[in-house]
Amino acid sequence: MSDVNDSKSHPEFRSEADEWALLSPAERWIESCGLWSVYLAWGGSLDPEPDSHSPFDCEELQRAIPGHGRSGVHLVRRGGV
Amino acid sequence: MGGQACILYGAAEFSRDLDLAIATDPENAKAVARALEELRAEQIYVPGFDIAALERGHACHFRCHASGAENLRIDLMAKLRGCPDFDELWNRRTTVELPEIGSIDVIALPDLIQAKKTQRDKDWSMIRRLVETHHLQFCNNPNRDQIIFWFRECRTPSLLVELARTYPDDCRGPLGQRGLLQAAHEGDFAALESVLYQEEQQERERDRSYWKPLRAELRQWRRERPPRT
Repeated sequence: MSDVNDSKSHPEFRSEADEWALLSPAERWIESCGLWSVYLAWGGSLDPEPDSHSPFDCEELQRAIPGHGRSGVHLVRRGGV
Repeated sequence: MGGQACILYGAAEFSRDLDLAIATDPENAKAVARALEELRAEQIYVPGFDIAALERGHACHFRCHASGAENLRIDLMAKLRGCPDFDELWNRRTTVELPEIGSIDVIALPDLIQAKKTQRDKDWSMIRRLVETHHLQFCNNPNRDQIIFWFRECRTPSLLVELARTYPDDCRGPLGQRGLLQAAHEGDFAALESVLYQEEQQERERDRSYWKPLRAELRQWRRERPPRT
């Protein structure tokens, strides 16, 4: 097999993306559910991001409220822009 | 068929909604309507749950309010541009066994990739990652179908060159059709990038054309809709 493939078969050469790809679908599902929980706990919104390329780019779909319906994170200081 | 499918196929993605392709026969339409009711799904955009609209290519958007699924967004579609009809998608599906959930059916990877050939930037990086991931998962012992799939869908110049060197007999047909064969053999990355860019632009234009009448219909529905109270 190729050099590229050989290097990726060794754990020390794998990136985080490769490690993720080599998990089973069930393992990725569990990890993803964990991310989902953290995201919601931090006040993440389940609404779509603005995407000017999307046929559904519309303010009605972008309420930008926290996923669990309450404010989880308050912005105390914003730097730069 | 959306971000959740990408996760199951190995792309590192964080998806905040659930995209479902559904059959539109009357029996299934009733079952979907019942499920939406159980989930206390609120219509959040036009159209509502409308089978005729779904069959024309529209999506229906909902936000759930049932306990355990609060604020979960669900998008329904029945027709995906460039993909076969639902029955064929269903025949080609992947079934995945998930802990505490059981088996779920996921759109086949080649169909997912076709469905991602849209006008949106983010879908194109996802296609590249999905193919790279599939290659990583199967590169040690691929079958011919997998090799041909890589040649048809790979969008990574370095990987195309690598694949053309590793599988010279399998690359001619699919890479020739894409106009990538010579550049892949010569390792001409600039030429590969150029052809891949043109390929992407053509698909984006097809997607824009496909959505043009649907967008007009969406605008019309939004104008006709009574104001929210």
